[in-house]
Amino acid sequence: MNAAIQFNDVSLTYGPETDLVKVLNSISFSVNDDEIVSIVGPSGSGKTSIIMLAAGLERATQGSIKIHGQEITGVKENELSDIRRKNIGIVFQSFYLIPNLTALENVLLSLEANQKYNLDSEAKSLLDEFGLSHRINHLPSELSGGEQQRVAIARALINRPKIILADEPTGNLDSANSNTMIDLLFDYSRKSKTSLVLVTHNNPLAERCDRIIELKDGKIA
Amino acid sequence: MLDYQQLLFIHRYALRDITRSYKKLWVISTTLFISLLLLSLTFSVKHSLSNEIEANSKELLGGDIQISSGIEPLQGLILEQLSELGQISETVSLATMLSKKGDTSVFVDLRAVDGNYPLYGEMKTIPANAGQELLHDAKRPTVLINENIQNQLRLNIADEVVIMGQDFVVGGVIASVPDLAQSAVFGEFAIINKDQFDEFNIGSRDSFLKHDYRLKLNQTEDDGKQIELIKSIVESDKNINTRLPKDSGQSLRRIIDNFSNFLNLVSVSAMIIAGIGISNTLLSFVNQRNISIAVKKSLGFSSNIIQLIYFYEILLILIFTSILAYCIGVMSPLLANDLIPKSFDIDLQTSFSFISYLNIFFIGLLVVLIFSIPSLYSISAIKAVALFRNTFQPVSLHFSAKNIFYLTLLVVVLVGYFVFQTEQQFFTLLYFMAFVVTIFIFYGVSRLLISLLKRSFDFSSNSYKIAYRNIVAKKSLAPIMTISLGIGLTLLLTLSFVANNLKHEISQSIPSMAPDMFFVSINKGEKDDLESFIKSIDPNVELEFSPMASASFVALNGTPIEEIVSGDNRSSWIVRGDRRISWLEKPNQDNLIVRGEWWEPGIQDQMFVSMDSRAAFDLGMKLNDKITLNILGRDVIGTVKNFRKVDYRDISINFAIIINEAFATKLPYEYIGTLKSELSADTIQSKVIGKFPNISAIKIDRILSKVGEVLNKIFIAVTGISLIVIVIGLIVIVSAVMVQTTFRRYNNLIYKILGVNFPTILKAMTLEFAIIYLTLIIFALTVAMMGSYFVVENILLLSWSFDPSLTLWIVFSTAAVSFLLILIANRNIFNPKVYPLIRNE
Repeated sequence: MNAAIQFNDVSLTYGPETDLVKVLNSISFSVNDDEIVSIVGPSGSGKTSIIMLAAGLERATQGSIKIHGQEITGVKENELSDIRRKNIGIVFQSFYLIPNLTALENVLLSLEANQKYNLDSEAKSLLDEFGLSHRINHLPSELSGGEQQRVAIARALINRPKIILADEPTGNLDSANSNTMIDLLFDYSRKSKTSLVLVTHNNPLAERCDRIIELKDGKIA
Repeated sequence: MLDYQQLLFIHRYALRDITRSYKKLWVISTTLFISLLLLSLTFSVKHSLSNEIEANSKELLGGDIQISSGIEPLQGLILEQLSELGQISETVSLATMLSKKGDTSVFVDLRAVDGNYPLYGEMKTIPANAGQELLHDAKRPTVLINENIQNQLRLNIADEVVIMGQDFVVGGVIASVPDLAQSAVFGEFAIINKDQFDEFNIGSRDSFLKHDYRLKLNQTEDDGKQIELIKSIVESDKNINTRLPKDSGQSLRRIIDNFSNFLNLVSVSAMIIAGIGISNTLLSFVNQRNISIAVKKSLGFSSNIIQLIYFYEILLILIFTSILAYCIGVMSPLLANDLIPKSFDIDLQTSFSFISYLNIFFIGLLVVLIFSIPSLYSISAIKAVALFRNTFQPVSLHFSAKNIFYLTLLVVVLVGYFVFQTEQQFFTLLYFMAFVVTIFIFYGVSRLLISLLKRSFDFSSNSYKIAYRNIVAKKSLAPIMTISLGIGLTLLLTLSFVANNLKHEISQSIPSMAPDMFFVSINKGEKDDLESFIKSIDPNVELEFSPMASASFVALNGTPIEEIVSGDNRSSWIVRGDRRISWLEKPNQDNLIVRGEWWEPGIQDQMFVSMDSRAAFDLGMKLNDKITLNILGRDVIGTVKNFRKVDYRDISINFAIIINEAFATKLPYEYIGTLKSELSADTIQSKVIGKFPNISAIKIDRILSKVGEVLNKIFIAVTGISLIVIVIGLIVIVSAVMVQTTFRRYNNLIYKILGVNFPTILKAMTLEFAIIYLTLIIFALTVAMMGSYFVVENILLLSWSFDPSLTLWIVFSTAAVSFLLILIANRNIFNPKVYPLIRNE
């Protein structure tokens, strides 16, 4: 089985050499093609940093990161953008919908980033699947928290990414909405054989995943 | 490279973004629109005026060719040859007195025209047939006068007037003449019939006549050949000059060029200040949208695509505002028609021209690019990782080596584009340089203020503490207010100081130095009689007479002068046409010799020349150069012996060229005189004209009030136009204030929770404004005083003086308006509601 994500001896440090903060310290792991993996650990252990590195939004100080076999360390900003939009969907804790775009336009934006235009019907059908058909022309400020997160997930999935990176996707939701959201992500991942990497503090949620990677002080425990 | 679908996406996204965020972009739209409108108005009116001059060039010249023979009429043989080529109209012009019978007089530009006048266009008069009657059917000696003469002498049609002792009847009022004379519009202008001019021998009483012949060529296939033939007929006589339609309206063209250049510079200044606003607005726009930008990056959009979207939004705003500004500008000639004096008989037409629009758009594009690059390139500093941590730091203007290269290139293109479009390239370049230096000065001033405040902060007042924190804060108003208001105020103060100095010179300094009256056209034989007559009226009178003759400058060291001196030379007036020269045996005390020596008296067979030192410098003369003057049709070569410092400001008798008296006594000449008396100038004038009808007596106060009037109008226009720069500056400040509203509301909310009351916040805001304004005004005043001093002392050659009341008026009125606008823009932050903060809304 191919590795969707592969970290080899990856370190991430911040700050000047005299006062170096080691966020990740020589970690190595891989996530398979259709695997659902949760990353757990206390605050500051480096969970989100792994997501940032896997998404190519942060550069590793040391080591190698491969996405579907393609090395992304040392790759230029524009090429990273290409890799990201072709392979990766990201779900944030705070949804981060664009406030002056409607639900439909937020989802379409993801397609447009991939140079896929005039696919309104596809976006509408996904939003319909997520129970948002009556909300497609609403601005984010007119949606509830749960609805906003569903739009955010639809935006991450519309491109049919091979990898979904979710950073505490239920952190800002109540339990009912959380469960709906997680079901959506798991269903999609299973059906489409997509890798899902989930950062969470929620142990029951972590246990639903195929595998748990536990971090402590920047190292895999 | 972007494909069509990507471009379409950028277009759609930008359109959608603009329609949903237009409130945040109003500053960009408004400031761009105002500055583009000013530019468009200038271009459109200039374009229409130039078209009008071009289209009416034959009317403006009065014929297909104009031949001027100066004092003497053309020889009969030449006239005969010319008459075979077309129809000739002869005009004789002179300056003389026109008096209401038994009443006051005015000095007028008198034209005697023949029955063929005008060859092109028509002379409009009231009543309409007055021109026809004057030229073809005058039963009595008749004169047509312009409105200025009518108003001054309170004349009606059929009233009797006296010109050079001859009675004339007013036949009508001239509304306009096609061959536009400036005196017809701004001065006193009258027309008589050439036959009556000859019949009453008026020409013989004045030695400074100007004979012009205009030709309407016979209809042939080749006008060019006929023109060449005419030139060959008259070329043997150096006193004869020819002018073609393309040369007509040159003084008008020069005025239009100068004024439009000034307007262009003001427009571009306004646009640059608008650019500062654009830069500030875009930066805050980027900062307000940092999350959206980060999300786009997380979705895979590159910084370049996001920058392109925003650049395209600005481009769309520019296209929209420039089209609107251009359309309004194109209509402006219709408005200008109402403002141009009717006597110009100019009917400007609106004309759409894509090239003109592109011109405005291109300038707008350059300014917009220059000011949006540092703001929009800051997008690259927004990172998508911030979405995970929710830690967004405000980005600032981005100046990378690549950006600086682009900016330098764009600035050079903008300046070059302006400089190469104007006639006054050196001054335009100087203006741009001064402008850029001023921007840096004001930016430095704001940094200096912040630095000084940081060092001297030890007041215990709460208001001062809040004001201090606002000024030294990262998002302080100080830099943007100092630059945008500082430049506008500097421009306004500089122009006001220059205009005020000029007005002061005209209304006070000159009258105190100048004589009360000039006498011209005094024949040799009349001088002594005139002197004793005036002394009999006022024994204490101060009288000064100088002999003068007419001469034209032909060559310098054997080279024709027109090959040496270009039209834009500051002293080219000395070599253009006939000049009056005088002579002296001893140097005049008022004219200090700055180089060379005065000549030995009594040398009759050689001509020595004393030149105005400034003119000599401008014309590139050296001591002992050989000057060829044409005096009454004869070329005479003289040696330059010395240069004199001539001060023309006192309007006393001053000559640029003075020759030695022993040589000049052989010349035919007349006198010019000045008078200073305790008696009323009106009394002396009417008595002198009554006794000496051929002598023109001109009152100086009339000339000065005329000049003052024109200057006043220019002052109002210039001040009004420069106010636009301040208006743009104020919009930029208001926008900067509004951008900070959220930040300040939050601060004030915290202050309110901590117990600070409304009066304290208001006092703090007043103090903040006062500190910044006081600082910027000190520097604006300093720069304006230095700038105006340079212009007044070195270019206008006047004495600079400072007017405290004008300064205080400008400073306080601008402060009041600015502060009021800032208060209005800040109205939402005075009493913020606590509830939204608690709810974290």
